[in-house]
Amino acid sequence: MDVISHFRQESRTYAALGFVAICVIVLPVVIDSIWVKVLTSAVIFTLAAYGISLLYSQLGLVNLSQVALIGVGGWIMLRLNYAVQFPFELNLLVSAVITAFIGMILALPAMRMKGLYLALITLMVAGGFQIIFSAIQFPNGGAGFLGVALQSPGEMRRPLIAESDTAYLRYSIIVVVLGVMLAAAHNRGRPGRAWAMIRKSEANAMAAGVNVTLYKLWCFTLSGFLAGVSGGLLAGALKILDAKSFPAGESILLFALTIVGGVGHWMGAVIAGFLYRVVPAIFNTIGIDADLSLVIFGAALLHAIMTAPNGIAGQLSSLFQSLGRQNK
Amino acid sequence: MIRISDLSVHFGGVVALDNITVDIKDDIVGVIGPNGAGKTTLVNVLSGFVLPDSGTVDVEGVDLLSLAPHMRARWGLARSFQKVQTADNLTVADNIWVSLDTSASPGMKKHAALNRVLDYVGLADMADVPAYKLNPCQRRMTELARCLVASPRIVLLDEPGGGLSEIEVDKLRQVIGNIKTIFGAQVLLIDHDVELIKSVCSKTMVLDFGELIAFGPTETVLQDENVKAAYLGTEIKV
Amino acid sequence: MISGLAVGSLYALGGIGLVVLRRATGFLNFAYGAIAAASAMICWQFIDWGFAGPVSWLMSILTGVILSVFFGRYLAPSLAWREPVVKAVATLGFALIILGLVSFIWDDAARKLVLPTDKIGFRLMEVRITVTRIIAFGSSLLIALGTILYLEKTRTGLQMRALANNRAHSALIGIPILKVETIAWALSGALAGFTGMLFGDLVRLDPTIITFMVIPAIAAAICGRLESLFLTFIGGLSIGVAEAMLTLVKPAAPFRSLVAFVVAVLVILWMQRKQRLVFQTED
Repeated sequence: MDVISHFRQESRTYAALGFVAICVIVLPVVIDSIWVKVLTSAVIFTLAAYGISLLYSQLGLVNLSQVALIGVGGWIMLRLNYAVQFPFELNLLVSAVITAFIGMILALPAMRMKGLYLALITLMVAGGFQIIFSAIQFPNGGAGFLGVALQSPGEMRRPLIAESDTAYLRYSIIVVVLGVMLAAAHNRGRPGRAWAMIRKSEANAMAAGVNVTLYKLWCFTLSGFLAGVSGGLLAGALKILDAKSFPAGESILLFALTIVGGVGHWMGAVIAGFLYRVVPAIFNTIGIDADLSLVIFGAALLHAIMTAPNGIAGQLSSLFQSLGRQNK
Repeated sequence: MIRISDLSVHFGGVVALDNITVDIKDDIVGVIGPNGAGKTTLVNVLSGFVLPDSGTVDVEGVDLLSLAPHMRARWGLARSFQKVQTADNLTVADNIWVSLDTSASPGMKKHAALNRVLDYVGLADMADVPAYKLNPCQRRMTELARCLVASPRIVLLDEPGGGLSEIEVDKLRQVIGNIKTIFGAQVLLIDHDVELIKSVCSKTMVLDFGELIAFGPTETVLQDENVKAAYLGTEIKV
Repeated sequence: MISGLAVGSLYALGGIGLVVLRRATGFLNFAYGAIAAASAMICWQFIDWGFAGPVSWLMSILTGVILSVFFGRYLAPSLAWREPVVKAVATLGFALIILGLVSFIWDDAARKLVLPTDKIGFRLMEVRITVTRIIAFGSSLLIALGTILYLEKTRTGLQMRALANNRAHSALIGIPILKVETIAWALSGALAGFTGMLFGDLVRLDPTIITFMVIPAIAAAICGRLESLFLTFIGGLSIGVAEAMLTLVKPAAPFRSLVAFVVAVLVILWMQRKQRLVFQTED
């Protein structure tokens, strides 16, 4: 690699690290407590959005069930919290793994079909979980397997090092970064190569010895794993989860915003999380109806799909690149 | 040796391959025929993308048709496509590495194999270049490198010369010609470029309307009346 | 059972609308339900303003046509050569816009869409069958047949089938692509308007619920392998009936809407058993 592009690569990594450092150290201090909660939520959904982004940018596959899977992760996290005395981190891992597994099973039928079928299946999965969550609700310390207590809910424990809201925000950011790094490790290694080959031509990938179905499934499972982590974090953040928060429309909305934010780069997922959680809060504060935000986001998705394939992140990135060139 | 017996493929009412039976022993064997003769179908059957209606393919005692497509590749069957399919956002090295990921034999020194094949096709100084920056010839070489890197047993080349200039075809000729000596693989070469076929293939098979109408030493086959008729469309009075 | 057939007919109609549009344009229209919802609300609004029934019903169908053709004529062409997945995602954006607008214009109050045919009916074996339900079932049967015949026998139908087969070649042999596609969008939109109105009457007049009736409609379309109108019709009916049946089975009742998903998965699994080509060619 020549020196200049190597330097650019390095400076991009430093920029990323700098951004994360600011988020972890400075941000939680300067914002007030209500916005800490909103930001934590945005951070958590950033990870889930990144899962969507991974699947779409690497394989062109559409996952319209991510919020439903977040719900699954959250459900399992809550269930474990009340059932056993394991530490938060272990519960989080277990929730994520089981969510990934469930996602894998549900997506399996669509894996050997045309890509469109995965979009259809995940849409139906999202609809299905909406119904399931409405029926069984979320565990909050009650008896039985479903663990729903109608009165006096139990206590959702947080990690020992992150009891306060501010500390939890920092904790969430770190977990999200770890998740992104996990995905990045995939991208740089064997799965990333296989995915790129599959994206170009499934036939060619097969001819090169790649087990196409397996790798597609692996990518979806990873996407589901990240959703599971998000769900677990969300359970810790909100302490109670409401079935009304996980309708099919939310999964669609998160997908839409992931595209708008920009797939293929973690910055796009950050923007998506911001759009999904912070912007509606802002709208609320200044008096714009939530329904209108749907219109705006829908229009943004249409625009993004039609004109700017790399979304806002892509446009920002091109902007920085051209500025950089001008400064030489 | 590749033994093909009674291979037949029908697509609806169309006969794509009609009871093809042939034993392929030579290092580099050509496959020619007019458009629609079934050449690509044959390669597709061998590589596993089309299921034949009947027939068997045996290579050194292995029933090739019983293996899934990606397993055939891992066993040692490499193929290239008419339209080059290098992954644009991967570098040359990464593109080649995909085959090392899947088909390298245990204990193979992968970096050494990568460097060897890069030298062989002449892309050693372009290893870290992303594929979208390559010209057609370089892309074709990348694809060939990927086919060869894990020391395959058989290489199927489907019109590798398409879109290449004279000089580039010359280079292709060299690359193909030495495959057996350097990598130990048998080559099946489909192409329309008769000069290319003549220069590297010791034997050639000719397909027309799914039938094998000739198989033998290349020069002889090219002089065959039936073969000429197939290309020109005239009828032969037998 | 009867209501199952009626609702199933609506799913079938939805599926047919989706399949026809997909075959002619390559778009799987996720906004189908949203268009139906908008049409249903317009219908209610006109009735509320005091317009006569038939006028309101006409407005419903007209809304469907207008929304659908708007997308098809002005937004779809720039996506014409993109992947099917991209096209579907674009319709998703459109769906969000419509749903947002409809939710914004009409607040959350519960409303009922009442058609005069609701009051006319008769009893058959202890079950009350309203004319509305008969209309739903009967019209879906007629429309299904009609659409199949239309595609087979008429010239535009033939052109649509050619387009579905190969867009590039169709252009070469002189088929007026834009015109044929616009007709397909219009037909699909009219169906959406009609279905939305009936759905608002038979099930519930709620924009979100009607928007998501696209899910069982998609399931019906999958039963038809996204191409066979007949199988889509049967699929839609089956899903509707199965859902109705499950209401009778006490523990499973809340989960009856999962039927669509289960049916779709079963069909997809069955489709895979018959795959001859190992990889997917271009759409």
